Amino acid sequence: MELSDRDLALLDGAEGDAARQAMEALVQLGEAYDAPDMVEIGYAHVHAGMALYKGDVELIEATAAQGAKMVVPVSTNIANADMGDWQGTGAPEALGLLQKRAEAAHRAMGSATSFTCTPYWAGHWPTWNMHIASIESGVTVFANSVLGARSNRDGFFAVYAGMTGRYPRFGLHLDRNRQPTHRVTVTARPQGTAEFTALGYAIGAAVGSGVPLIRGLAARPTLDDLDAMGVGMATSGGVAMFIVPGVTPPFGAEADAPGLPEVEVSEADIARVFDGFCTGAEAGFDLVHLGCPHASFEEMKHYAALLTGKRVAEGVELWVTTSRAVRQMARDAGLLAPMLAAGARVVTDTCPISCHFACTCSPDPALKVMPPKLRTILVDSAKQAHYVRDMIQCPTLFTTSELAVDSAVTGRFLPRRRRNG
Amino acid sequence: MGEAGWQARGVVKGQASGAALVSQTALSFLGDLDIRSGRVVGRSSDLLGESVAGRVLVLPASRGSAGAWRFLYQLKVHGTHPAALILREMPDPSVTQGAFLAEVPVLVAPEPGFWEALRSGEALQVDGTTGRIARG
Repeated sequence: MELSDRDLALLDGAEGDAARQAMEALVQLGEAYDAPDMVEIGYAHVHAGMALYKGDVELIEATAAQGAKMVVPVSTNIANADMGDWQGTGAPEALGLLQKRAEAAHRAMGSATSFTCTPYWAGHWPTWNMHIASIESGVTVFANSVLGARSNRDGFFAVYAGMTGRYPRFGLHLDRNRQPTHRVTVTARPQGTAEFTALGYAIGAAVGSGVPLIRGLAARPTLDDLDAMGVGMATSGGVAMFIVPGVTPPFGAEADAPGLPEVEVSEADIARVFDGFCTGAEAGFDLVHLGCPHASFEEMKHYAALLTGKRVAEGVELWVTTSRAVRQMARDAGLLAPMLAAGARVVTDTCPISCHFACTCSPDPALKVMPPKLRTILVDSAKQAHYVRDMIQCPTLFTTSELAVDSAVTGRFLPRRRRNG
Repeated sequence: MGEAGWQARGVVKGQASGAALVSQTALSFLGDLDIRSGRVVGRSSDLLGESVAGRVLVLPASRGSAGAWRFLYQLKVHGTHPAALILREMPDPSVTQGAFLAEVPVLVAPEPGFWEALRSGEALQVDGTTGRIARG
């Protein structure tokens, strides 16, 4: 592997012990994947330090204690508790306090303590051809497919990229891997983010870890729709990048992928995703969740409009999850008051599948984490539904955002209606 | 290398030994394993019910999530991690990053004779630095 003078100096410890270890790990990664050299990183989205996994917050604390400093802009991923109000979600005190220690460690390293799966809605917006590292698969797919930045589906090493500004050149950092592998034709006419998560989920299930080129959408999808479609794909498959001609840089409107494996996604395929995640009883849900991935300001506006003048039914909780930054924007715009007046809870830093509801985590027994018994969770996202099934292991109901709010208000599930065409 | 052993590609450095645990199905480190016991709980795996702890885990491929690294590292925290991984094809970067953190050697694409000759339960010594896999 060809290393720059600075890479070699980092390996010599010129920028401290923490940076030396980070660089050693990145060189090992590069050798594993036959990277010819390192690229310059412009931004990193890193691991929060998860209080529901034993030793995990301590791992971030140890890195900070070594004197690690971020040398590029860094945001932090979603965490296991709302660090401003863990009591409001019923999280054990010890869990909230442990999670809060991660916040201090990240602050000491110079990271923005965003604790969200949608850092782009909170201001971290990498641009075309910028090499980035990301621990969150939804960020990876949005950056590659909407912004034209370059990211692999990373793990913990995103922290090392943030500390050194370097990353081995392999995977989606190379032009040759940023090409379509499948030609997808969409005949369905999805509307709204819930349906776009389902469209993405159907595509991901068909293409696995491929790069689908997606044709046939009726109109240019909104940023929220593109976000929703991407997380759907990254959930059912290992998709790290999709191509919408005329949207994904640098692919023009005329881009096509003749001769590649063909996939068609129809209304029936989308309906099948919704039906597959309707496993709960229609009057038996105790939690309605909106905001997976973490809501954008536009989605907060939409949720506020839907909830204005309404009241969540007795025995039902309604959670809207978003980032700290977007919640602040929503508050400043007068959007929180109607949501709170309707009885909704606005939660930041976490979400149902990321908090103590999950029963597949491995917290330190001393934290006394007991996942509550939930009958059914009603959601407006295929990603949330998938992980409620696998991590909370309770039944789900899946419908559009509008009908999810109506369900929360009436206490009775309102399924999505099929669309023609 | 014939009878005594095989050559593979060393991906994550380090030496380890243990009894082989051979699977014909892809494994997801997120979801297919119970962290506290190291047991395979994923129904799509032919290792259902077996424990990966201390074994040289031999897989055709790893499946799935970008969160794989955390689960591999959690196995280490709980002392239920495999001694080493041998895979037919290169794993996701997330799996590799988890193996680095957990200090679990990873070897990829052993020479063809390996797959026919190896039996589950055989004692193996593996070296992720040189790529060598030996019996005994």
